[in-house]
This record gives sequence, structure tokens and C-alpha cells, in this order.
Amino acid sequence: MAENNNDSRRTIRNFTCKALKATAKAIILYVAYFLMWTMFLAPASELIPGLQQMIETFVMVYIILIIIGELTSGTIFQYFFSVAKALFVIGYLIFSLNGGILGLTFQNVSLMVDLRLFLAIATLLSLLGLAKSVLQAINYMSEKAEYTRI
Amino acid sequence: MRIPIRMIGIATTFFWIFLIGFFISAVYSVKDVQFNFGEPQFGLNANSEAFFSLPVSIINRGLYDISVFRIFTQISDNANIAIVNGSTSVPVIKRNDEVTVMHNMTVNVDDLLQTDQNYLFNDTDLRIYVVLGMSIAKMIPVEASANLSVRWGAPLYNFALGQVQYSAYNSSHLVATVPISFENHAFFDVAGNIRVRMYNSTNRRVGSGEISVVVPPDSSYNGSLQFYASITRLTASGRFDVYFSTAFFDYGPLVIHYG
Repeated sequence: MAENNNDSRRTIRNFTCKALKATAKAIILYVAYFLMWTMFLAPASELIPGLQQMIETFVMVYIILIIIGELTSGTIFQYFFSVAKALFVIGYLIFSLNGGILGLTFQNVSLMVDLRLFLAIATLLSLLGLAKSVLQAINYMSEKAEYTRI
Repeated sequence: MRIPIRMIGIATTFFWIFLIGFFISAVYSVKDVQFNFGEPQFGLNANSEAFFSLPVSIINRGLYDISVFRIFTQISDNANIAIVNGSTSVPVIKRNDEVTVMHNMTVNVDDLLQTDQNYLFNDTDLRIYVVLGMSIAKMIPVEASANLSVRWGAPLYNFALGQVQYSAYNSSHLVATVPISFENHAFFDVAGNIRVRMYNSTNRRVGSGEISVVVPPDSSYNGSLQFYASITRLTASGRFDVYFSTAFFDYGPLVIHYG
């Protein structure tokens, strides 16, 4: 009975720790986004319609994935969400940057920005993050198998 | 296996920070790049071609070099047929550097009039396609393009020969006076000669004359040309062949029937 109580207490404590960690990470990420937005990106939003909405959607989904990943830490699902995060970044970058060619029309002037090189590097970095998550999942499974055997 | 994974994580984070920092600073530094366009110049070059010259100065106060700076201009008619195009490029504009280039375009007005004489007598709209491109930090190519429309003013707008007046000269010839009028809507002076040949209904020359004109832009000309006309060849109807010879163009004959 006492062991059961201890277990549930430990579970609650673990979950609280995870929740606090997730909250802290989310707050740090949001503050970083907020500072970056107010300092650098806000002037650009006047020229690029929908920029704020695009970035906010990205930050929102990314924070949600971070929170879920943190809450599921210590399980294999943590790595699933980590992989999902990396895939989301790749997909969102390709989608939002229109394949690397951004076109804008302002009155009579058309502006074209070629971000293919930037997109390629960002995709490669995301793939590196994906590979890291896969390796972490493999490592987690192999360590779990070792403990089970012992 | 944990250490390599951690190293991958650290490297990925480092590269992400570097990439985002670089991208933001590159975009941010564009606001410190200034373009100044000077007074455009029009004129004639040594080959009697009309030229258009626009001084463009680029002041790069940004954080990165600008490479492959390019200005491309194409002037086309209403049917989108290119009349003239010009291209100017600067390989590299270093940071904290100022570069001034001349964007030149030349057009042979003679050739232009051979393709379409409307430019001589009728005002029309010309389309100008302008492209301004550059590569920021040798990594982010940016290109701005615009379609503009300008009015082409005809140098001989509303050209007309009036009613011929005859006065006696001798038993075989009369003095013919032909009123000439037109408006110069072009950006250049119409300075040169107008030659008129008068033919009768049987295609025999009745007489011919020449007049010098100097008509500044946006002004009209009203004058008259006098020549001796053979009485024996004079018929009630016929035609005038008009030839124009100016510094910008030579054109003729413009056939105007009379009678």
C-alpha cells in the first residue's frame, strides 16, 4: 500500500517536473520569438502580407510539439514527436517559402526573392535533427533491451 | 552512443543559430542599401543614334557585399515587340562602398521608323520593363521588376500640307506655295530639311522645293514652301512626295495626294 502511494507520488512528481520543463521551454521559445519579432521582423511584416500569421502558426505548432515531446520524455513517443518536429520544420519551410522562390507584388513592382539555397541548408539541418531523433530512438530501444536482459 | 548523439545535437543547434542569425542580418542589412537615380540624359551619339543615359548610384551601407547587381530595361511597343533594350551590371559592390554606373540605351531612330512610320506621325504608348537584381551576401538573389508605360511623342504629329496657292512667275512657270504644318511632340528638336516634290496625274514632276525647319519639343510649326511649278505639266490632281532629313532620322517619301 505504502509502495503504491510512493509510486503515485513519484509519478505525480515526475509529471510535474516534465510539465514545468515543458512550460519553461515553451516560454523561452516564445520570448525568443517575441524579441526576434519586435526587433527584426516587425518592419518586414509591413512589406510581406501574412508574414506574422505564417511565423505565428509555425511557432505555435512547434511549441505544441515541444510540450508534447517533453511530457512524453522517458518514453519512445518522445522521439516520435521529435521526428514529427523535424518533419514539420521541413514541410513548413518548403510550404511557406513556396519552394524557395518568394514572389511579392507591391503596387506596380514585383519582387522576387530566391531563398532556395537557404531552404536547402535549413532542410539539411532539419534532416540532421531527424537523424538525431532516429539515433536517439535506436539508442533508447537498445538501452531498454539491455536493462530488460539484465 | 550518447556522446555522438549529443554532438549532433550541439552541432545542429549551432548551425541553426548561425543560419537564422545570418538570414536575419542579411535581410536587415537591405534597408541600409540606397539607390539614387540621377538626371536622365537624352541625345545623339557619334553614329547618329538616339541615346538615353541614366546615372544610378548604389550606396551599400549594409553588413554584406552585394554581388551581380544588374539593371535591365526593355522598351517595347503596344504589340509587345521589343524596340530597344539595355543592360548594366556591376560584379561586386563591397560593404561601405558607393558605386555609380550609367545605364545606357541607344536606339537607331531610322531603323525604328523603317519598321513603323506611326512613331513619326502618331503619339503612342510605349511599355518599359525594368528589372533590378542583385545578390545579397552572395547567397540570396533578389529581383525587382516593374512594368511602366510612357508616352511616345511623334516628331511630326498632325503633319499636313495645305491648299497650294499659285502666283504668276513667267510664261512657263508659276510660283507654288505649299503651307506646311505639324506639331513636334517628341523629346528632341526637329531640325533639318523638308523636301517636297510635286507630281501631276501622269506621274511627271511639276516642281520641287526644300525648306529648313527648327522646331523645339512641344511646339508647332506653321510655314510654307515655295517652288516653281511648270504650267504645262500642272494638272488638277496629283501627288506630293515629302522627304524628311533631320539629325535623328531620314524618312521619305510620304505621299500626299492633292486635287
